[in-house]
Amino acid sequence: MSELLKLNNIETYIGQYHILQGVSVEVKKGEVTVLLGRNGAGKTTTLRTIMGLNPASKGSVVYKGEEIQALPTYTIAQKGIGYVPEDQGIFAGLTVEENMKVAIQKENEETNKRLDYILNLFPDLQKFWKKPGGLLSGGQKQMLSIARAYVNDNELLLIDEPSKGLAPIVVEKVMESILQMKDQTTIVLVEQNFMMASTIGDCFYIIDDGRTVSNGTMKQLKEDEEMKRKYLGIA
Amino acid sequence: MELLFNLTLNGLATGMLIFLLAAGLTLIFGLMDVLNFAHGGLFAWGAYSGIWIYTTTGSFLIGIFGAILTGFLLGIITEKWIIKPVYGNHVQQILITLGLMLVLSEMLKVIWGPNQLTANPPEYLKGSWEIGDIIIIKYRVFIIFVGLLVFAGVQFLLKNTKIGLVVRAGVMNKEMVQALGINIKKVFMFVFMIGSGMAALGGVLFGPYSGVIHAGMGMEFAILAFIVVVIGGMGNFTGSVMAAILVGLSGSFMAYYVPELSLAVNMLLMAIVLIVKPQGLFGGKG
Amino acid sequence: MKWIVNNRMNAIYIIIAAFLFLLPFVYESRNMLILLTQIFVFAILAMSYDLLLGFTGIVSFGHAMFFGIGAYSIGIFMKRLEPTMLHFIYAVLATILITAIVSFIVGLLTLRLKSHFYAMLTMALAGLFLVLAEKWRTLTFGNDGFTFRVPELFIDRTNFYIICLVSMIAVFMILKRFTNSPLGRVLQAIRENEQRTESLGYQVLHYKIAASVVSGVLAGIAGIFYAMSLRYVNTSVFAMDITLDALLMTIIGGVGTLVGAIIGAGLIEFAHDGLTELAKEHWIFERWIIFFGIIYILVVIFFPLGIVGTLRKFTWIRKKQHPAKKKENLAG
Ligand SMILES: Nc1ncnc2c1ncn2[C@@H]1O[C@H](COP(=O)(O)OP(=O)(O)OP(=O)(O)O)[C@@H](O)[C@H]1O
Ligand SMILES: [Mg+2]
Repeated sequence: MSELLKLNNIETYIGQYHILQGVSVEVKKGEVTVLLGRNGAGKTTTLRTIMGLNPASKGSVVYKGEEIQALPTYTIAQKGIGYVPEDQGIFAGLTVEENMKVAIQKENEETNKRLDYILNLFPDLQKFWKKPGGLLSGGQKQMLSIARAYVNDNELLLIDEPSKGLAPIVVEKVMESILQMKDQTTIVLVEQNFMMASTIGDCFYIIDDGRTVSNGTMKQLKEDEEMKRKYLGIA
Repeated sequence: MELLFNLTLNGLATGMLIFLLAAGLTLIFGLMDVLNFAHGGLFAWGAYSGIWIYTTTGSFLIGIFGAILTGFLLGIITEKWIIKPVYGNHVQQILITLGLMLVLSEMLKVIWGPNQLTANPPEYLKGSWEIGDIIIIKYRVFIIFVGLLVFAGVQFLLKNTKIGLVVRAGVMNKEMVQALGINIKKVFMFVFMIGSGMAALGGVLFGPYSGVIHAGMGMEFAILAFIVVVIGGMGNFTGSVMAAILVGLSGSFMAYYVPELSLAVNMLLMAIVLIVKPQGLFGGKG
Repeated sequence: MKWIVNNRMNAIYIIIAAFLFLLPFVYESRNMLILLTQIFVFAILAMSYDLLLGFTGIVSFGHAMFFGIGAYSIGIFMKRLEPTMLHFIYAVLATILITAIVSFIVGLLTLRLKSHFYAMLTMALAGLFLVLAEKWRTLTFGNDGFTFRVPELFIDRTNFYIICLVSMIAVFMILKRFTNSPLGRVLQAIRENEQRTESLGYQVLHYKIAASVVSGVLAGIAGIFYAMSLRYVNTSVFAMDITLDALLMTIIGGVGTLVGAIIGAGLIEFAHDGLTELAKEHWIFERWIIFFGIIYILVVIFFPLGIVGTLRKFTWIRKKQHPAKKKENLAG
């Protein structure tokens, strides 16, 4: 399998702060790559750097063989990368329907099929189709955000902590849906919930203090108690 | 009764003119975080160019379209060459728009001379209807009508078109709009253009309403528009129309009963809003 | 003496000040004297503006309001009462009181919000004061304004020149002290990064209001001198033009430098003077504001550090032998 996305030693500044100081990640097509690390390690910033929201000042981001680190965010998105941010980024004053409409890049048969598929996966969205996004529950917001990223024919989805602040039962639901989408797209997942990460993930990268410090397959990580304790604070 | 009616009509007409100015201001602010202090200059440019075309061609309608076109053009130029170069730096943006205001007003004097110009409504909008004791001045009704039409049009655009949705989404979360593959810079340009067109339309309608236009009118109206933007909530389009009507009416009634205090009352209203509800009387952004 | 040797800049300031003190005794030109007096007055205004824009990152579009309050206070006291020193002092106190109250209220209302609000409210309030001055005819004589007499001390042009010069230097030194004081450092920290300053435990709002009040009061003082130099006041002291002048002087001279404000005042006033002369030759120069406006826009885009800031940057580069930080922008 070839890699779809490759981060080569990227460094990113936010204002004057040197946040990422060398992050290298390879994302293989068809796999779920999980980014792990403690709070403030730079996981979100890594995703934002891929999206061009906090552009890298050094290193390169290669997507399908093309360097994209200097492109504007919207071009990166158009190349087929969908983004589900940590705060979900729901347009609160827009209805669920309008949120989806903003997301849909081209209206065609294919998109309609994907829309049907995702609405079947998340019946709640259909139920609250005309409800303002701001009034949805946390889990529903997460679903809407994922649906928005999925509805376009994206080859890569970046999902930032989908389990954050959700009840265990909702986490399971979200997890299931991601497992379903796994067959169709490549996913980069930031996840603190180790149960979820280890169930969904194929391979992992650990980011610490703005650097990738370790990587391997999820199976390796499950067995490596030392690593889990050191970087993830779990035994 | 008759007086009451006339003051109301007058207030509504003024309110609509302020609305045309404030709507663009509030949309541009909501989307781009830019408070365009040159917006009043576009209002004055609309008035001068429109009235000039109107008197040269003899057609008020052509004058109106000319004004709107001027507004569009100036809006595009402003966005591209004045606002964009200092994008992301608030202080520079505020400073530069004021400089533009200055240049726009002075340019008017260079082109059309420093004296005020007169303007009259076209024949078909002159005079008034009489219903019982009530005299209704046609031109005022016309302004109210056009104002409402523009409001409905923009509202339709915002609610029912993709670009409108994107504008509303952009007001709420600019980053996410881009992460969904939309070039927000193009949307900025579009909104700036529409906002400037509305301001210019307001200006040309104001001409025959007051009878004279002068280069300083942009500034005077801009202050009212700022008050409206604060009262209605920065970035809130529907809020701006309600606040504009409020300010127009209060201005009209105050101007009749205690003329000295009319601006002061509106300012006081703004101060109260700033204290108790700085996000505006009519809810938050959106 | 060692202090002078140690600081070349101070030596230059002292030489220039000495030159300006001696000038009226060696070079007798009434016009030059009046022009320089005007420059000193506007330098005070511009420095008060710089305290806001350059040191705190606050944009005011209604600075004319404070200037006008000072001008009308002195005018009204001198006109209504005898033009004595005592009444002059009353006028100064009244100016300080009114400008302090107004700037305090404006600051309280808007400084906790985004920077646009302060700009907007000051602009609107200045508009209100303009209307007030037009309408309250019994006090202000409306648009026409009124002339008044000044206390004896100020009648002689050379005396007045010296007094304005001393005031300007005093304001310069006070503001220099003020901006280098702990309080001034906090203000600059606010300009650089408001949230960080707040999170360090500073009550940012209080500091910003303090800057707003000091700035307002000083602008009022400038207004007093302005009206006294003309011995006449009308509604134009509340006009946008005054604010624009202050803005232009500060920006062209260099924000956040104080000396820049003085240099800017000199340049703009000389330019005003020259362009007024040129206006007799060709009508386009009557519209000189347009040139200022264009220069102003260009400076904001391409030259945001102004004259002094840019000079400093270059000397700094030469000293340090490596490029200055790229992001050093106008109070962003
Ligand atoms: N706008 C900003 N300004 C300054 N520092 C920032 C900014 N955004 C993030 N940081 C810092 O960058 C570091 C990395 O943040 P990031 O959000 O990428 O971490 P994370 O790994 O996603 O953490 P979490 O698990 O808490 O979401 C943190 O130390 C954070 O404080
Ligand atoms: Mg995060």
